[in-house]
Amino acid sequence: MNTVLSVQNMNVTYVNKSKRVMAVRNASFSISKGDSLGLVGESGSGKSTLAIALLGLLPKETTEITGKAIFLEDTDLLSISEKEMNELRWKKLAVVFQKAMNSLSPVHRISTVFEDIYRVHEPHATKEEIHAATVRLLKLVNLPERVYHLYPHEMSGGMLQRVAIAMSLLHSPQLLIFDEATTALDVVTQGQILKEIVQMEKELETTRIMITHDMSVVSSSCNKVAVMYAGEIVEFGYVKNVMVHPQHPYTKALLKSFPALKGEKRKMESIPGFLPDLSKEIPACVFAPRCAYATERCRAEKPLFHSREDGSGTACFLTEGGAD
Amino acid sequence: MSKYILRRLFSGILTILMVFVLDFIIIKAAPGDPVRTIMGKETDDPELRAALMEKYGLDKPFHVQFVSQLKNMLRGDFGNSIIYNRSVADMIKERLPATLLLGLVDCILALIIGTALGIFCARRDGSFIDNFLSSIAYTLDAMPSFWLGLMLIIVFSSRLNLLPAQGMENVREGYEGFRHTLDVMEHMVLPVMTMVLITMPGYFRIAKSSIQQVTSEDFITTLRSTGMSEKMIFSKYIFKNAILPTVTMFGITLAFLVTGVTLVEIVFSWPGTGRLTLTAINQRDYPTLMGVYMVMSISVAVVMVLVDIAYAFLDPRIRYDK
Amino acid sequence: MKAVLSKCLRAFKADGQLRFGVIGVIVLLLVIILAPILAPHDPYSYEFVRLLPPGSEDHFLGTNHMGQDVYSMLIFGVGTSLKVALISALISGALGVLIGGLGGFLGGWVDQVVSEIINIFLMIPTFFLILLIISLFGNSIANVMIVIGITTWPGNAKLMRAQALSLRERTFVRSAVALGETKTQILFKYILPNGIFPVVANTTRSMAGAILTEASLSFLGLGDPNIISWGQMIYQGKSYITSAWWISAFSGIAVILTVIVFYMLGDGLNHVLNPKYNYGRSK
Repeated sequence: MNTVLSVQNMNVTYVNKSKRVMAVRNASFSISKGDSLGLVGESGSGKSTLAIALLGLLPKETTEITGKAIFLEDTDLLSISEKEMNELRWKKLAVVFQKAMNSLSPVHRISTVFEDIYRVHEPHATKEEIHAATVRLLKLVNLPERVYHLYPHEMSGGMLQRVAIAMSLLHSPQLLIFDEATTALDVVTQGQILKEIVQMEKELETTRIMITHDMSVVSSSCNKVAVMYAGEIVEFGYVKNVMVHPQHPYTKALLKSFPALKGEKRKMESIPGFLPDLSKEIPACVFAPRCAYATERCRAEKPLFHSREDGSGTACFLTEGGAD
Repeated sequence: MSKYILRRLFSGILTILMVFVLDFIIIKAAPGDPVRTIMGKETDDPELRAALMEKYGLDKPFHVQFVSQLKNMLRGDFGNSIIYNRSVADMIKERLPATLLLGLVDCILALIIGTALGIFCARRDGSFIDNFLSSIAYTLDAMPSFWLGLMLIIVFSSRLNLLPAQGMENVREGYEGFRHTLDVMEHMVLPVMTMVLITMPGYFRIAKSSIQQVTSEDFITTLRSTGMSEKMIFSKYIFKNAILPTVTMFGITLAFLVTGVTLVEIVFSWPGTGRLTLTAINQRDYPTLMGVYMVMSISVAVVMVLVDIAYAFLDPRIRYDK
Repeated sequence: MKAVLSKCLRAFKADGQLRFGVIGVIVLLLVIILAPILAPHDPYSYEFVRLLPPGSEDHFLGTNHMGQDVYSMLIFGVGTSLKVALISALISGALGVLIGGLGGFLGGWVDQVVSEIINIFLMIPTFFLILLIISLFGNSIANVMIVIGITTWPGNAKLMRAQALSLRERTFVRSAVALGETKTQILFKYILPNGIFPVVANTTRSMAGAILTEASLSFLGLGDPNIISWGQMIYQGKSYITSAWWISAFSGIAVILTVIVFYMLGDGLNHVLNPKYNYGRSK
């Protein structure tokens, strides 16, 4: 099996004078070539922190990161130097950020930005080469060639999102991270872009991590899903299984809080309660205070992540018996 | 784009018209008899009065006076000084070079030094040197320019006897050629230092805050994640985005250049338009005062429009707005 | 209102600038009230001992060319500066709020005219206009205050207009319209009270501006000769700059300190009134 990324016991802690906020705790998962992993959770669950930590973009002075993230079987993203990281960036590992409208400099043409980014790894590339490469990518995301010479403010949100995706593909990276990349778009555009992404991946054989709070995005564009709650991964598995038979009570609740993309209408429910205070150690199940099925044990002891052979599993006492 | 330029031109013209109307209203509403001022206190000869009224068109109805004065202004005639009996426009023209010299040197130095310090502190936010420079900028902002000028005179001129405090050149020596240039430069040190210290904090603050703001934008994070070097990100992407407010500020300073140096000119007896203003105030030479005000307002309006148009070429977003 | 008050209290504890500003203003007010006690001499009394340097017995900041006690003049100058600041800022604030509020609230051609006038005024060299009016209409302190007030309103009007524009679309104003309240009622009951806070913060800054403007006018010889003002003192000291530096120097420092107090108050208020500025967060 071709493992692209294997995250092992990863912790991310934000440190300031008065507080230590453990934003990601003990996260472990792995994805193989061609996989598309949806990382879901509500805001504050640590999903974006996890991704930004993998990209090495968190400020060093105020964060502590432990654990391992083995990329392409030989590089630990969490311990390599800035210089080595810069070599990987965009060439092997690229990202599309939230709100693409802000991810392009407003006073530079698309062509300028693409040329500069391309030359980070190919310093001697000519304008023509870059232009040719870009036009191919723009076509891939259904944009006309003329976009190349526009300024960001001359494009719609959907177009900008496509530009950002095309930009991330400049060096055909092995791993692509989408950080809430489609959240700001309207539903129709979002649907189109997700379809295009899936289509595109078949051609390019990239692996993708999709960070979102929207279960429907996961179900329509991913094959695996990791559900995060309060900094911990509480459930991991194949989308086709998790969406139909969610194991962890949080996943169940999360699925109920979103309208079904297809199928019959059902009642939407919100989850009562709030996220726990992440600046304190939690010696119990993180979800217990909001869980409808929580037992005494859940409040006293921390359930460990139990995984099966295919990597799927949950961190919950209720499912430990291996029921499926 | 052309719509934007037309719009700016229109409001520039409107401003000049408004200045003229204000000017006209102020003269008409001002207490005191203008004819009396011209005649002097001693005589009150009705014949002379009538003649003067006719000469200055004061016997005509307001709207006729308004139109004829507007015509004069459009021809570049801003009236005559009652003290020197000379055209105000000529008097301003004579003194403008000295003012422009002082103002331009100040504008450019303040821009360079203030922006450089702003960039320097933006990357060291909260450090000792940043706090120190920011406090100085805050204090300088609260400082009357003329007072700072006086203090510099006390220190550098009357105590240390290092630099000349008055005028633009050493009249007694009557230097020529290169020696003259040096002499003028020496006389410029204190006024320029005063002006730069007063105008610099603005550039400092704007450069610092806009660099910090741009640095936290999403597109900078995106560029960082591409592995682009910090140097490249800063010099090309942060800089071009962050410099726009500085350009605006430079434009405004440029527009208000002539009026901005007035007080400092007076402190240092600099032979520019500021001196002209002071003399006019002291001698109650109202036509000159009005003329100076008109010329300055018009020059501000014209430069502002030019600056706005130039700005449109720098920021692609403006070209398509409205 | 209660929420605003408690936020102010919290901000007062957290925001150093606001604290400095509020305490500074209180100190200045105390100085005005206690001026007769604080000042060892009558600032209007002329003595024969002229141009005494600072540190002299009985005149620890020296005397000026007329033999007046510089320290006592400084104490009595606080009142002048604050009076100018307050009255001109009130005039400028009231005009700005009314004109800007009307433009933003009524919209349409009224708004177009208002915003055009605001833009024009922002392009006029205001100080020169003030100077012109004062030299023509006479340099009494009342004229100075009024003229500063009526020439500096456009900044306030701009802020108020923006507020009114956004308030107009809010539900509570719309429901008031639906309930049939008259435009005047809506303007004075909802728009002005809710939109006034940014103007208040800005007004504090323009109070500092007014103090500086008054000083500048005095320096041009356009101050009111019948009262004691710091600007006037700097102006008088100018002629003695080589022999009696203290006259100008101390009065200038008084101006700077007072202006800084108002700047701090304005910045502090801006922090409190800015919903994005959150106290209790570390950064």
